Amino acid sequence: MQEATFLILTALAGGSQHGYGIISDVEQISKRRVKLRAGTLYTALDRLREEKLIAVDREEVVDSRLRRYYRLTPTGEERLAEEAARLHANARVAMFRLDPSEGMAST
Amino acid sequence: MTEPSRLERRYRSLLALYPKAFRREHEQEMLSVLMATASEGQNRPRLAESADLVRSALLMRVRQARVPVAWEYSHARLMLPVRIVTGVWLVFLTAVLYGYGRGGWWGVLLVPAATLHFYIAYRLIRPPDRVAGPPRR
Repeated sequence: MQEATFLILTALAGGSQHGYGIISDVEQISKRRVKLRAGTLYTALDRLREEKLIAVDREEVVDSRLRRYYRLTPTGEERLAEEAARLHANARVAMFRLDPSEGMAST
Repeated sequence: MTEPSRLERRYRSLLALYPKAFRREHEQEMLSVLMATASEGQNRPRLAESADLVRSALLMRVRQARVPVAWEYSHARLMLPVRIVTGVWLVFLTAVLYGYGRGGWWGVLLVPAATLHFYIAYRLIRPPDRVAGPPRR
């Protein structure tokens, strides 16, 4: 799973969000490192929807602009949990090897 | 926002690069995002943003391209000799016309026509270079 995909799913794990919401949330989660652009975001959303990891939650019109909210599907939650567990396990090993006294204890 | 601003029109023309189905589905919300991320007084898309739109539009086009179904392949294979014979015939005609000094304008017509026949014959029997559909990963 690519990092952008992982971050998009993570953003949606906290509740449904629309495009702009996802962009700013991903920026916050990644500590300003990942700035999604509209093109990238929507090709990703389109694919994730096709893979049934996310679904359209609802639509709103604010200032004559369409806002479509997306949410995580149960399959999406599952996939995100798996991926997070995998990354977590890898990170733990890395931290332990870098500092055996700290790694296992603090995480 | 009463009428589309210059920025919005420019974004729209970039969004026109996407496949129709994708545009029908996402154009409005993408426009909302693009307009929301634009800064005050900005009247043209930023370069990086345009590049991202063009890149992802091309990606979507490749992703949605349809792979020919079985009968289209067998038909193309069947038509191959016909196309090649037609192409050869056109080349022959061109040669004859030029041989008798009557080429001139006919060459302009026949040479590209023959080339097109050969190209289509080759193009249609070539196996697909990509597989659309099921997600990777």
